[in-house]
Amino acid sequence: MQTITSNTKGKSRHKKQKEVMNVENTKAQMRKGVLEYCILSILNGHDKYASEILSTLKDAKMLVVEGTIYPLLTRLKNAGLLNYRWEESTSGPPRKYYTLTETGKLFLKELDSTWDELRSATNLVTKNK
Amino acid sequence: MNKTVNINLANILFHIDEGAFNKMRLYLESIKRSFANTPGSDEILVDIEARIAELFHEKLENERQVITEKEVDEVITIMGQPEDYMVDEDIFEDEPKAKRSSEQRRSKKLYRDTEMKYVAGVSSGLAHYVGVDPLWVRLLWIVLTIGSGGGFILLYGLLWILIPEATTTSQKLDMRGEDINISNIERKVKEGFDDVAEKVKSVDYSEVGNKVKNGGKTFFDTIGDIIMFFFKVFGKFIGIILIIVGAATIIGMFIGMLTLGTLDWFHLPGLDGVLKNITGTPVWVVSMLLFFAIGIPFFFLLYLGLKILVNNLKSIGNIAKFSLLGLWLISIISLIVLGVREAASHAFTGSVTTEKELYLDNASDTLNIQLVSTELWEQREFMRMDDSVMLYNDEGNPILLSDDVRFNLKKSQDSIIRISIRKEANGSSYDEARGTAEKIEYGYTMNGKNLLLNDFLTTADKSTFNGQEVRVNLYLPEGTILRYNPSSSRNWVVRGDRDRGDIDLDESVWKMGFDGELKCQECPEKETDEDDEDNRIRINSDGIDININDEDGESFKMKIDEEGVRIKAKDDEENVDINIDSKGNKVEIKAKDGDSEMTKTITKD
Repeated sequence: MQTITSNTKGKSRHKKQKEVMNVENTKAQMRKGVLEYCILSILNGHDKYASEILSTLKDAKMLVVEGTIYPLLTRLKNAGLLNYRWEESTSGPPRKYYTLTETGKLFLKELDSTWDELRSATNLVTKNK
Repeated sequence: MNKTVNINLANILFHIDEGAFNKMRLYLESIKRSFANTPGSDEILVDIEARIAELFHEKLENERQVITEKEVDEVITIMGQPEDYMVDEDIFEDEPKAKRSSEQRRSKKLYRDTEMKYVAGVSSGLAHYVGVDPLWVRLLWIVLTIGSGGGFILLYGLLWILIPEATTTSQKLDMRGEDINISNIERKVKEGFDDVAEKVKSVDYSEVGNKVKNGGKTFFDTIGDIIMFFFKVFGKFIGIILIIVGAATIIGMFIGMLTLGTLDWFHLPGLDGVLKNITGTPVWVVSMLLFFAIGIPFFFLLYLGLKILVNNLKSIGNIAKFSLLGLWLISIISLIVLGVREAASHAFTGSVTTEKELYLDNASDTLNIQLVSTELWEQREFMRMDDSVMLYNDEGNPILLSDDVRFNLKKSQDSIIRISIRKEANGSSYDEARGTAEKIEYGYTMNGKNLLLNDFLTTADKSTFNGQEVRVNLYLPEGTILRYNPSSSRNWVVRGDRDRGDIDLDESVWKMGFDGELKCQECPEKETDEDDEDNRIRINSDGIDININDEDGESFKMKIDEEGVRIKAKDDEENVDINIDSKGNKVEIKAKDGDSEMTKTITKD
């Protein structure tokens, strides 16, 4: 395990990534950049529990390891974009079903349009090259 | 064959191989550590555990199957390494950055480093904490321990108890965390400005409106961050002061208690007897009560200081806290009771008076009064207490020696010389006080015409300080002539009668007057002529008195009183005297001018 000290953690890691810029990192960064958007999209209209969200993301190759999603879900929940309820499961532990809040829906809408803009902008830039 | 452990993951029971269990435990612990300063970390961990439970559940074919390291490895592969959890934070660089940096700041924790220990790892733990080589801490311990006469051993023991041992990897990492030193403070401040600068530079113009809001917030957050940081440093500083004060007091008290209790290290002669004498309680009890009464509050001060300084300090527990509090209260109450008892033992004053007649061989002889001192004062081993000292008599028992002896000279009503000796003492009752007073030993001898008075009193064996004093009243018939010889060692003031203040008898000869006042027989007459006194005009019931001199030698004197009128005028050369007697029968005039002189006397006849 790396020992990276407290308050400079984010910073030094950030710098480190700039220093060793390899393709894997960039790919991971790109994926993670839209992860939040993806989670909100997955939950749009359907309440889902962590494993379902995970399987969707993994199928889409958006995720490599599952651990990443948990802090993200908690963060979205704490930001008031998500809510959850417990549901008993017939097989295994009770499941935490996540659902979009009103704020979450507005947020998602905002992101939708941003994503469209971004996609067309990226298309434009990459095609013109 | 392998041992299995039962674990409960998200309320589901799993049988797990011991090796697998350890692996799982380490994994969860390191994840916990990576989330240590993230808001909602507990919730995240619960979710992760639930997911792990689910994964295990899927992998196991039946409930009897045991989880092995293989399953654990698979799950870890799916879930990702702790670093993967942490990397996730980086993508949210903009919005919650400032907030996060304050929340994520992992402060260094104080643990005992048992890997580098000599005794219990306190020193190496402290060294990690302050960021120096353990050698220095150990040297400091040695110096302080020797310097304090061993008192710091106590503190070491205290720290040993209070500081937890770093057992897990995460604790060990915490132990070596970031330290607070100048370069870090500097870096922190710089970073704060960098953040602000970066924020300004990285304004995304498409979201200017949004960013301005955020930027402002972030700027102040950063400032707040820096301020918070200094507050923390300040807090630590206060903590250090509390620790120093608390520790110093406790150690001082401890040494004090040991020395008072045993009188071993530095011998204060008689102190233990004195204390025992005052309170009637064994000295070690009193010193222990004092130690608890003063030491316990300081212990809590020390504890508070440690708590400020060390985030993960082991609690001493409520039982310990309350028993300390109880002990403190008991000590305070006991001390109060002892104090009250002590005060009560002086509440009453009792006295015993003996009167005796003294005879001079020859009634017209001069009475020689002489004070006799004692060699006991020379004894070195004593403790002073008010007027008294405590010392040991020949049998080795403590006795008190006091110079609280006073003399009064009074006029006798008849023609017999009497000496009256009043012994006084305090006690918790009249009887007790009188009993103590009776035990006072005071001696004098009448030898021909010499009266030898002791200037000290002693008490019987094993007496306690109780305000013992002796008052000697010497009654002298009118006309008795006395001479006073102070003892060589001490200058004695004998009090005369009639509240005229103390008369310094010196070595003169005195005579008892009719009014009870001692008249000096050999003292030189006081000059009544006040000619020398310059420039005065005094008018009162006695008459008029004028005396004026100037620097040129000119003078004018006039005195009008019951004796008559006298006028004297004088300058360089001239000189006039006029005297008129009180009845106006005689007038005398003297005049002198240079060489010529004239005298004229006029009488009624």
